[in-house]
Amino acid sequence: MNRMIDVRSVWFWLSVAALVIMFVFIVYPIINIVTSSFSNGGGWSQILSEQRYGEAIANSLMLAAIVTVACTLVGVPLAYVTARFRFPGKSLIVFLPLITLVIPEVIAAQTWLMMLGNNGLITRFFREYGIILPSFYGWFGLVTSMTFIYYTYVYIGTVAAISGFDAHLEEAAQSLGSSPARARLKVMVPVIAPAILSGALLVFTMVIGNFAISIILGHQVQLLSVMTYRAAVSEGGVNPVMQSTLASVSILIVMVVLFINRWIVARGRYEVVQGRGAPPSALRGLEGVLIALAAGTVVLISMLPMISVILGAFTRARGPVMQWGTWTLENMERVFVTAPQPLVNSLVYAGLATCIGISFSTVVSYMIVKKRNLITPLLDYISVVPLALSGTVLGIGLIISFHTGWLPLTGTASIIVLAYVVRRLPFGMRNASSTLYNVPNSIEEASISLGSPPFRTFVRVVLPMMAPAIAAAAVLTWTTSVAELSASILVYSGGRETLPIQIFRLLDSALMAYASACGLTLIGVILLPIMIAIKVFRMDLFGVGKPRSES
Amino acid sequence: MSISISGLAVSYGQADVIADLDLRIDEGNFFTLLGPSGCGKTTLLRTIAGFVPAARGRILFGDVDVTRLPAHKRDIGMVFQDYALFPDKTVFENVAYGLRARGERGAVLEGRVMKALERVDLGPFRSRKPAALSGGQRQRVALARALVIEPQVLLMDEPLSNLDARLRLQVRETIMELQREARITTVFVTHDQEESLSMSDRIGVMNKGRIEQIGSPKEIYATPATTFVADFVGAANRIPVTLGQGADATRPTVRFGDVVLRARCAGPVPNGEGVLVLRPEDLGMDDSPTTDGAASSLPGSVILRQYLGARTAYKVRLGDGSVLAVDLHGEDHDRFSAGQHVSVSVNPEKALVLAR
Repeated sequence: MNRMIDVRSVWFWLSVAALVIMFVFIVYPIINIVTSSFSNGGGWSQILSEQRYGEAIANSLMLAAIVTVACTLVGVPLAYVTARFRFPGKSLIVFLPLITLVIPEVIAAQTWLMMLGNNGLITRFFREYGIILPSFYGWFGLVTSMTFIYYTYVYIGTVAAISGFDAHLEEAAQSLGSSPARARLKVMVPVIAPAILSGALLVFTMVIGNFAISIILGHQVQLLSVMTYRAAVSEGGVNPVMQSTLASVSILIVMVVLFINRWIVARGRYEVVQGRGAPPSALRGLEGVLIALAAGTVVLISMLPMISVILGAFTRARGPVMQWGTWTLENMERVFVTAPQPLVNSLVYAGLATCIGISFSTVVSYMIVKKRNLITPLLDYISVVPLALSGTVLGIGLIISFHTGWLPLTGTASIIVLAYVVRRLPFGMRNASSTLYNVPNSIEEASISLGSPPFRTFVRVVLPMMAPAIAAAAVLTWTTSVAELSASILVYSGGRETLPIQIFRLLDSALMAYASACGLTLIGVILLPIMIAIKVFRMDLFGVGKPRSES
Repeated sequence: MSISISGLAVSYGQADVIADLDLRIDEGNFFTLLGPSGCGKTTLLRTIAGFVPAARGRILFGDVDVTRLPAHKRDIGMVFQDYALFPDKTVFENVAYGLRARGERGAVLEGRVMKALERVDLGPFRSRKPAALSGGQRQRVALARALVIEPQVLLMDEPLSNLDARLRLQVRETIMELQREARITTVFVTHDQEESLSMSDRIGVMNKGRIEQIGSPKEIYATPATTFVADFVGAANRIPVTLGQGADATRPTVRFGDVVLRARCAGPVPNGEGVLVLRPEDLGMDDSPTTDGAASSLPGSVILRQYLGARTAYKVRLGDGSVLAVDLHGEDHDRFSAGQHVSVSVNPEKALVLAR
């Protein structure tokens, strides 16, 4: 009896089913993208010959590089200050990851425009004094807004690394004759460098794939993701040559970065130090005030979208003209009463995606960790593939694959739910499997020895032990699905707008007040489960270490 | 319920971990599988439990062939080294788990669980979660959980290894009391020879996937069948010897140094090349090298002396450079000191010759 191919086992057939599903919805779309890029003469020669394509790719790489450096410059010092010092107002910084999680990028882009756009609050304020601010569209806006969204990924990883850094190492270096500053540079920097690099590379891939901010603030700056989206919109699903080619380029770039990341993580493993970090010391005097001010500024800028979306939601507007200072409930009324469809759609689609995604990833990770057979390693590999796909690329893959043919999904709600599920699968899987590795095999065997059949054991013993992690994963899947824009905007059809799509369309028409009301509602929908999870169920949502990709 | 195993083979990949193993454990017996780590004892236990499939051979519980029966239908109780308590369930629910799986409900369930908990003195702890218990308490919960279902067979996989020395003794006694009370056929896996000697009715000493010897604790200790068993169970001095020609096969004459004695012999010794096994506590020691013609004493000098309270352990270097371990009990067992010249005496009744 070969345990690797045990055809009598339920788990074997379940793993076969999972493989088929993952192949159809993850691998098959990618194959279609790549093959389409070579069909009908192919898009590759066009990309090489036409200057605008090369320019867009170069711009995207450059933007990613600049934002990555900027994020490191903001995130690392903030992390160092947070991990090593106590100062007034420090508790606010704890909320940073929460802030970026609950503010979808489309709202962030919108609110930056409300402040600094051509008709923005701050722009007009300065204009009254004769000061003309540089236009927020283009490089300035792109770099600023992306930096203040993405720096948290560098920050979170670096804080963890510095907190785990053994302070004795620093003392050892000092005892050997290095000055404190030198000791820190020579000893601490190499140890935390892999964490910083890992976070930075994550930022790089997210900028490459970023859709919402790129299209709203990009204007004349040609970017790969925007160009891919436009090609997809104009070509549709019939002859998808250019979109496939551009999507392939983006897959290639992200894959290269992911490989570099893997390599760094693998190399950095031996440097993981299990020490006690230095306890934070109090900062007093001028230095303390200055650092608190600097950190406070970063937090405040991160909070800016939150503040302005609240203001905007309750401000009266006539068409695109905001009448600042006059308050109204009209905008909110439209979201909830007059036109509630996008809200309802968002709740239904994200709800479905959360249920499907979490069940699927729980069962599949269980097979990968506990019921190994010939197929489960394949499941493991395929489940991380969506990490290499930006939302736009995934959307294109789904359209090409399920436009017509044996499984026509375009025009139905299922393709939106599908897009949500596939995008969040790697995170759900990582979450579930990390808990499962902590469930010793003997626990299951104990249950079986007491007369519980294996499946009942899974339901009665393993699932309850995974419950907290599953709930945390569900909350995170929900929040990221509700905010998803870049894939759903490609696959949705009329009447199936979600809140992010609605906001995006309203921004196009410059209806800022209505967009703000949608935005506030969206943030509420995101925040509510998080609050319940943290306050009522006392979950550690942010210890899960789940990077979010762009919405 | 007796357990009969015949022709059993277990393989991981291509390699046989256990090959062609036969074993019979009588009903109500406390049977210990003793051996070093990697000898296959845990694999054998897990095969009996049904967690590891048998490649060949048969396993019978009583007259019933369970070889192909899945673990949950074998009606076993199992106790694990790491306790394997369900962390999210209370002590009560842990113990009730197996009864619920058998359809027990209500007052009967409650009564049986509480009786089992009280038997291990954990009645007041019924509402605790495992995390709020000490190691010894956890293992007692695990015992109650395994026994409350009144299984046909109780299987224990190094249940005492994670406990500190004092607790180990307490839980050991609890296990023995419960097993004697229920007269339940028990298979106990350990690498600790003291545990196996003190607890078992019978012991199977395992090495490299085979059972080297089966016997009562006393047989295993006093007449080891192989040098491996002699070494693994208790300490032993091993001296290579050549057997005298043509003598009585059960009482061969052996000669080493100046000593000639008629030792006991457990089995045939090919080519007359044997190993003389001498337990340290079976050796005696005298003040000075006596030359009274007693052929069974060896001159030497004490090179190490360890006072251990009830006894003293000596190392004695003999004239030919070899070193013997000698344990002395009784009055003045600590009377020799390092460097002192002594003579070590051998009792022929306790000297055993094994094949090399």
